[in-house]
Amino acid sequence: MPSKVLISDPTLRDGNHAVKHQLTEKQIARYAAAAEAAGVPIVEVGHGNGLGASSLQVGESAVDDLTMLKAARRELLNSKLGIHVMPGFATINKDIKRAIEIGVDVFRIGAHCTEADITQRHIGFVRDKGKEVFGVLMMSHMVTKEILAEEASKMESYGAEGVVIMDSAGAYLPRDVGGRIAELVKRLQVPVGFHGHNNLGMAVANSLAAVEAGATIVDGTARGFGAGAGNTPLEVLVAVLEKMGYSTGINLYKMLDAADLAEKELMPSVPSIKSVSIVSGLAGVFSGFAKHVERISGEYGVDSRDLFFELGRRKVVAGQEDLILEAAMDLASQKKKAPAETS
Amino acid sequence: MKSSYVMDIIQEDCANASRQAELLEALRGETIFITGGTGFVGVWFCELVAHLNDQHGFGTQLLLLSGRAQSFSAKAPHLAMRKDVTLIERDVRSLLDIPKEASWIIHAAGSPDNRLAASDPLRVAQVITRGTETVLDAATRLPNLKKFLNISSGLVYGAQPLERERIPEGYSGGLDCASVSGIYAESKRFAETLCVAYRSQHRLPVVTARPFAFIGPYQLLDRPWAVNNFIRDGLLGGPIRILGDGQTVRSYMYPSDMVFWLLRILAAGIPGQSYNVGSPHGVTLQQLAEKVAACFPAPPKILSRLSPEQALHRSRFVPDVRLAEETLGLRLTVDLENALRRTILWNQAQNKLMRVEKAR
Amino acid sequence: MKKLKVAILGSGNIGTDLLVKALRSPYLECTFFIGRNLLSPGMTKASGLGVRISSLGIEAIEKEPESCDLVFDATSAMDHKRHWQILDKLGKTVIDMTPSKIGRMCIPAINLEECLVDRHVNMVTCGGQASIPLAYLIGKTQGPVEYIEVVSSIASRSSGPATRLNIDEYVETTEEGLRFFSGCERAKTILIQNPAVPCVDMQTTVFVRIKSPDLEALAVEAERMVGKIKTYVPGYRLVAPPLVENGRLMIMIKVQGLGDYLPKYAGNLDIINCAAIAMAEGYARRFAEVSA
Repeated sequence: MPSKVLISDPTLRDGNHAVKHQLTEKQIARYAAAAEAAGVPIVEVGHGNGLGASSLQVGESAVDDLTMLKAARRELLNSKLGIHVMPGFATINKDIKRAIEIGVDVFRIGAHCTEADITQRHIGFVRDKGKEVFGVLMMSHMVTKEILAEEASKMESYGAEGVVIMDSAGAYLPRDVGGRIAELVKRLQVPVGFHGHNNLGMAVANSLAAVEAGATIVDGTARGFGAGAGNTPLEVLVAVLEKMGYSTGINLYKMLDAADLAEKELMPSVPSIKSVSIVSGLAGVFSGFAKHVERISGEYGVDSRDLFFELGRRKVVAGQEDLILEAAMDLASQKKKAPAETS
Repeated sequence: MKSSYVMDIIQEDCANASRQAELLEALRGETIFITGGTGFVGVWFCELVAHLNDQHGFGTQLLLLSGRAQSFSAKAPHLAMRKDVTLIERDVRSLLDIPKEASWIIHAAGSPDNRLAASDPLRVAQVITRGTETVLDAATRLPNLKKFLNISSGLVYGAQPLERERIPEGYSGGLDCASVSGIYAESKRFAETLCVAYRSQHRLPVVTARPFAFIGPYQLLDRPWAVNNFIRDGLLGGPIRILGDGQTVRSYMYPSDMVFWLLRILAAGIPGQSYNVGSPHGVTLQQLAEKVAACFPAPPKILSRLSPEQALHRSRFVPDVRLAEETLGLRLTVDLENALRRTILWNQAQNKLMRVEKAR
Repeated sequence: MKKLKVAILGSGNIGTDLLVKALRSPYLECTFFIGRNLLSPGMTKASGLGVRISSLGIEAIEKEPESCDLVFDATSAMDHKRHWQILDKLGKTVIDMTPSKIGRMCIPAINLEECLVDRHVNMVTCGGQASIPLAYLIGKTQGPVEYIEVVSSIASRSSGPATRLNIDEYVETTEEGLRFFSGCERAKTILIQNPAVPCVDMQTTVFVRIKSPDLEALAVEAERMVGKIKTYVPGYRLVAPPLVENGRLMIMIKVQGLGDYLPKYAGNLDIINCAAIAMAEGYARRFAEVSA
């Protein structure tokens, strides 16, 4: 029997970053139906930063959380409805309780890769309600594999039924991923997963390295729909995994149809590796910053590449979008000073 | 007040466990001081001693030390209001003296909750190591100390070799001191060494118990341990989800047996000796999930997420309890099927009760 | 002037930093430092500074009610509910440092004087102390505000295990404070923990979606408010004047701590404690007036 890989598809969540969180109810329903038809096991839906994240800080979504979730819920029968939750943005009372009422099946509770302990209450609450819950460690390239494994163990102890590490900046090379996943597989009892971004063109290769090192959960989005250079393209991932002898339970033809539909109905343009995406990956900056950096570097007349490197130097984490502006202002004022100094 | 049904289960359990009450004769009319008195183990001590007092005229007094006496009154008001139970609210690390009338001590403080150990390992280490030291030190100043029972943990043995069916007391395995997840077991191990030092230097009559795994009333189902989660999944209507490898082996003892054993070890255990406390009957997680499912009229589905890699994590945690059985005359009175069935009944009754109280 | 006798309940980071600040105050005398664990670093520090300590928790004050007039409660929201019942009966003035939401919400730069008539005030949260004065100004100068949002990032190492476990309490209490003081129905709070080394200073941004902002008026008022806050939180500053970007009105501030107990990056600890000390000094002056 071929090894099984559990696919989680955040097209309708991470993809929202690429359109400034403007996915509509109709678009969500259309893609959810296509994913259901393809047999995608988990369909993640929501604002790019997850539940309760619609805000002036990271961008307001066109449709509120509950409407988005309901739109997808109606289309999903065999596929599970999943969401991303970051404590600090979403709370149990305001957000998680309502998501449970709507019928969300899978909760992925995420934190920056060193902050797992803030997820204890949320993971515990979801498990108590009998729902499936995974831990997610974001920006996982920022720490060593040993620290990553310790943080993942915390999530496991809180009740996470699997831990997914995210390459939120698209900064990994395959050997980085293999080493980290192998360490997690060695240290955890629960399944380990990987979520790739494509800044350096490595998303599929990194996902394969993860699977070869023992990961059994992999994320991918249709046509790689996601911020900046995008995510691991799911239709490619499914094809490659099948070719390598892994089973995903997804119907390839129908997955290809879903990807075609996503391209036509969800995307103003298919994600591609733009020059700034490469810089963003090299600088190790959260891919979700791309749209903000593009806008703000224009407004303040600074080179977006300089801005990405400056943000990397400041070690900003997901959710610190307000610092983009501050960093741009600092760069702009340095630029003004520089000619004066040379004269 | 607790509903009579919830109480009936516990009363039956205590009656069943104390059929050999004569084994605890040494504790008649005595005063026992218990640290960690309001946790799972502490509450069960109270239940059993209350039963011995009410049904067998023991006249034993309990002094319960806890950092959260309030929570005890909420959890078990019927015990908190009893004349033979006295609550003392104090952090075990700040204990100065033990009441002079105490002649028996059970040191049970220290939470085995691995979520706490993950988030705040330093606190876990300090409560166990410094807490034990403080209690031992106070015990040296008691005028009439008869015995000190240190409740350690079966985890002090480290990983059980898969080929070894059961761990006996003499096994000195290995713990991984380089991993933060070993903090609880390492602290417990050091606490045992402290007991040895106090026995050597102060001639303190310390006996050690090493509890393994338990399932029963008063155990919170949100604890991230397999059997608790299976039961919770079952109570929620399923499916029951097995994480990790289904071939992992555990064994479970019912808490009324657990406290009876612990009291017997206190009463008759030989100072310097360690006794395993638990069930010697191993069960795989797969079998366990099936047993839990079978307790429900409409058995929930069982899902397992297996992958070849996880065979690496296959583990075993089963005690050899012949020392306690053969030298102290102890035996198991509740088998696993019964333990699961009673735990589920108790939780159902408890949930119903909470709903009624909420509706008021 | 006779100093006001204060007791500190809770020996964690907040309590211990309050201790250092109270000892420096010309108006306060810290008579009792109370925790549960004699081995905690806070207890060791207090006893090293010659302050009387107890590990009996609230019982210490019940046993000796005359030991203090005012109590800082730096324990937890859950414990505070019980503590207030006891302290209320004893007639103590209580400054609640926890996110319990039961006392009157107090932001010294806005309502110090009004709060002095109450014996029970709540210091909201660190993010609340940093952002609410600005939210209040926006409400006052920019007309009715539909939606207000506050984002704080703090150094991971500046929040202890209890705070990290209870991140939801922080978010919900800050939002309640924002709604109350800005008069705006919809408020959102986001908290980011940043693990960067060296540790980052606390940074807070207030966002408002608004049609026609009056930036000039706001800039003048904001300078004035920052001046007022600086009198009790010296490390509080505007990063830039209020600005509009992408249809959002933004005010960004940074708070650097005094480095009393935790290092300077812990501006979050400092701002709530400085506010509490300012409040306690207010009570001290009031008591002196009454008894004079």
